[in-house]
Amino acid sequence: MGSSSKKKKEKQKDFQKAKLKVGKTKAKPDNFTDTSFKAKSITLTQQSLTLNAPTTTTQFTHHVSLLGSKSDAQRRDSLAHLTTHLTHSRPGNAPLPQPVSTLLPTLAPLILDGSTGVRTQLLRLLRALPPRDVEDHVAQLLPFIRAGMTHLAADIRVTAVEVLAWLVEVAGREVVGCAGGWIKTLNCFLSVLGWHTEESSKWSASRAAFGKSGTAGRPVVKVLGVLAEFLEVGIGAVAGEGGGGDVVMEEGAGRTAGAAVGNWEFPLAQVEAHMVPQTAQPYVYLNLFGQPRDEEGEMYETREDRFRVFAARFLKAVERGVESARQDGGEVGRASSAVNKVLKEALGYARGAGLEV
Amino acid sequence: MVKRKLGALEKVEADLPNLQHKIRRDPKSYIEDFRAQHYQYESHREIFMAAPSSATDTGIISLRELIDFIAHVADCYPEITKDFPQQLMDILTQHHLILQAELREKIVGSLVLLRKKELLDSATLLQTLFPILISTPSKTLRALLFQKILMDLRSSNAKSTNHKLNRTMQTVLYNLVTSDRTSSKGLWAIKLTRELWKRQIWTDAKAVEVMKEASLATNEKVIVGGIRFFLGGDKEREEMEDESSDEEAIDMGRVKHIVGINKKTKKKARAVEKARATVKRRERKKNQPHPLNFSALHLLHDPQGYAESLFSKHLQSTKSKLNLDQKLLVLQLVTRLVGLHKLHIMHLYSYFQKYLTPRQPSVTSFLASLAQASHDLVPPDDLEPLVQKIANEFVSEASAAEVASAGLNAIREICARQPLAMNETLLQDLVMYRKSKDKGVVMAARGLLSLFRELNPEWLKRRDRGKEASMGLRSGDKKEKRFAEQAAGGIEGIELLEQWKEEERRKKRAEKGLASDAEDDDEEDEEDNWDAWNVEEDEDSDDSDGWIQVQSDAEIELSDSDDDDEDSKRPKKKAKSDEETAAETAAEATTEASKAQKELDQKLSLAATRILTPADLAKLQELRTEAAVNALAGVKGRQSASNRHHDDPLTAEEIEGLAALSAGKATREERIAHAKEGKTDRADHKSVTAKRKEKKDAQGKSTTNKEKARKKNFLMTLGKAKSKNKRSLVQTRAVLKAHQERAKRGGRRGNTGN
Repeated sequence: MGSSSKKKKEKQKDFQKAKLKVGKTKAKPDNFTDTSFKAKSITLTQQSLTLNAPTTTTQFTHHVSLLGSKSDAQRRDSLAHLTTHLTHSRPGNAPLPQPVSTLLPTLAPLILDGSTGVRTQLLRLLRALPPRDVEDHVAQLLPFIRAGMTHLAADIRVTAVEVLAWLVEVAGREVVGCAGGWIKTLNCFLSVLGWHTEESSKWSASRAAFGKSGTAGRPVVKVLGVLAEFLEVGIGAVAGEGGGGDVVMEEGAGRTAGAAVGNWEFPLAQVEAHMVPQTAQPYVYLNLFGQPRDEEGEMYETREDRFRVFAARFLKAVERGVESARQDGGEVGRASSAVNKVLKEALGYARGAGLEV
Repeated sequence: MVKRKLGALEKVEADLPNLQHKIRRDPKSYIEDFRAQHYQYESHREIFMAAPSSATDTGIISLRELIDFIAHVADCYPEITKDFPQQLMDILTQHHLILQAELREKIVGSLVLLRKKELLDSATLLQTLFPILISTPSKTLRALLFQKILMDLRSSNAKSTNHKLNRTMQTVLYNLVTSDRTSSKGLWAIKLTRELWKRQIWTDAKAVEVMKEASLATNEKVIVGGIRFFLGGDKEREEMEDESSDEEAIDMGRVKHIVGINKKTKKKARAVEKARATVKRRERKKNQPHPLNFSALHLLHDPQGYAESLFSKHLQSTKSKLNLDQKLLVLQLVTRLVGLHKLHIMHLYSYFQKYLTPRQPSVTSFLASLAQASHDLVPPDDLEPLVQKIANEFVSEASAAEVASAGLNAIREICARQPLAMNETLLQDLVMYRKSKDKGVVMAARGLLSLFRELNPEWLKRRDRGKEASMGLRSGDKKEKRFAEQAAGGIEGIELLEQWKEEERRKKRAEKGLASDAEDDDEEDEEDNWDAWNVEEDEDSDDSDGWIQVQSDAEIELSDSDDDDEDSKRPKKKAKSDEETAAETAAEATTEASKAQKELDQKLSLAATRILTPADLAKLQELRTEAAVNALAGVKGRQSASNRHHDDPLTAEEIEGLAALSAGKATREERIAHAKEGKTDRADHKSVTAKRKEKKDAQGKSTTNKEKARKKNFLMTLGKAKSKNKRSLVQTRAVLKAHQERAKRGGRRGNTGN
């Protein structure tokens, strides 16, 4: 009896209307779904309402700013965009949308980037830069390259060596002649190759291969090649372009260089040596505004200086290293022969010039 | 910032901690790797130095990590890293303003680490850190630097005092305080000195000198810092010492017992070793002679000059910007110096004149200071008007009870130090207040009364003198002390020793069966004495070794308020005329005086006739402590003026005294709270077993099998109980047999020694 009345009541309930009252909110229906939401920020899919497409210059600037992005892919894509802009869409000799001096400070840290894609793309971009503009910023770039060469990660080391190869190719004279460019870079080379001490250069030494060494022999070959180029520019025989702007005191070289400036009348000789140099920062060697430099950070501008330092500090280690590399044979041995050749040339030249070895 | 996630493939190996770990184990093999990382650091440093402000995190390894890495393994390659500390210091000193906080902290931490590895000496480190501490605007860096500097000073003074370093540092602090007196940088010197003083690392006059200069500065914060050091530094030091001494007593027996029972692990063995070492160290510390710690007030070179300049610079001069609280602090220090060193500052007492009115804020502090400033070499002429003024302004029937009691207390404290500041009529006037209705006033007046019963009962009315004082007066003991009169010195407690010796002698003679009073042949005694030269040999010479006897039925000498009321109520007929008593006292005085003279001679006799042996001195010390403890047990909780150490400051609370008594009736809540104060919490009522159990738990002891069985979950026991019923006879027998066997063996594990 009781139960049936209860059931009846429950049935009745479904059909009863809720009473509306003044001043009270309407009761929500049973099937009500709450669609309100909270968000810290709301992103609209189309934010820009301008009809004009952004100019290439603004796009370029935008992508430069994106180089500091947190995402690997973003950085890589921006680099790719910049590269295509530099190589393809720039007509002829038109100036860059932004000068190299503003580009480089954002580009240089990317040498140490953790992502491989970014680094390869960076190398492409660097190669696309106009060589003449890079020359003045070598000193800015070199610390990053050196940091890369001694990095714990093998891949970064390889990239850094590749960047150095490019830089030597583009502005070899500045690389070996700028502050700290000679000794410190050579130190890094020795450290990459593990040639510093006698026992560490032996083949039997437990070459403390810390970290991933990458693909076995390849990096060493590459490094040896770059070392050969580097030494060639630094202390190799003076030939054509290599000694072109150097302050060379020999008569012969002076004559060849002088030819470019013009033929001077008889009483005037070696005039260009006394004139204001044509580089962008002619007096940088005075180091008027920087920190005082020690021996390692000093500039070694002439070939003789460089050779003297090289002979005193590195010659033995390099000879020893080259010898052991030759004994290794194979690709490494072949690569070492290039270094060997440069060494021989340099030594022969030095003996001819009367420097003690 | 969310940390960027790296996919497995693009992860590059740059694991500096791993390399660090490997280098630690085998430095020689990894020298090339280290060299590479050092070049890496050099390059990063170069990049950083080229643009210190715009330096960002480059790639996956930052300069910070490299610095950390090199600092940790620098001791393995001292040749390669010889410039490293200097480079860090250069970065820090030149660029600490623009460095990122993390990098900055890392550099500081690395420098300290290098100091720990002895690659850097303390003086250089402190010379680098201290200038930054006082110049940097960053609060976190300051906190860090302060902590590091303090730690370094502590650690370099840990084994033996590093005098050289301390001297340099103190000189630096001194120069900091004196060079610019208006700047608040002196606060760092104060903080550092105070901390080191507290830890008893600096306990010399030079540190005090720094604080002295600080308190004479022009900057208010610095002044207050210096003053507070003198007022509270020594107390802080004592508290610190107490804290460190009673850290936790290690019960060696318990530790051993626990180890014997629990599972033996290396960790536990180490814990035992540690406990043993701690106990040993404490033992050694206990046996060491107590270091002489002079309080800062005693180490001052020229207290008179210092007090004068404090007074004239901060209190008298109209240019001083200190507020009342700060001035009160200065005043407290000045008066403490005056009281302690018995100085005389010309205008100090007249300075007080202005402030001695009941309406003056925190007047009790002024009163306390005044009392502190009075000592027995102050001319009574200086103090008398002040006492008069206090009496006039504070002590009257019209004034509030608290005020009157504070005034009376202040007068008592002043007179305790210089009794001549009082005169007879005023005293008799003030003593009358013990008939007041208010309890606080009554107590204060009684205090004054009992003080003068000791000092100069002649000024009191005859019926107020009390029994002891009148007897003393008659015998000539209680004489008025003349101005600047000094009591003849002696050896403290020598009479106790004499008394004890006498008793011993008597005992011995009693054993021998001789008359206890007869003269003894001294030779034997003498021999005993000479044996006693060596305390270590006959340690049992003093029978109560390390124990102090406290008389169980020591008479509690309460203040003689009750009997003196009786005195006054006594029938007047007993009082004789003044002339009569005077004559009587004079007559008796002569006889008594001669007696006293004899006693005095006897007292001196021991010290004069005999050389005290170390055993004697040890006994003397023991007797002295015993007497002190007895006195304390007698006079419960009351600190009389004579008990107070003359170094202790007089506080405003003491002047306010029992003013709480005169505050009127307490409310019900207050009364309940007061009643509850001494009682323990209701929750503490528990059965004895429960209490024991708690104690056991607290001591970390395990439960017995019985307890385990009792606590076992019911459901777990069900199965066994059921199966028990279903056992066959054979099974039951086997079980019973096994049980018997086990009982014989002594349990499952057995105790038969195998």
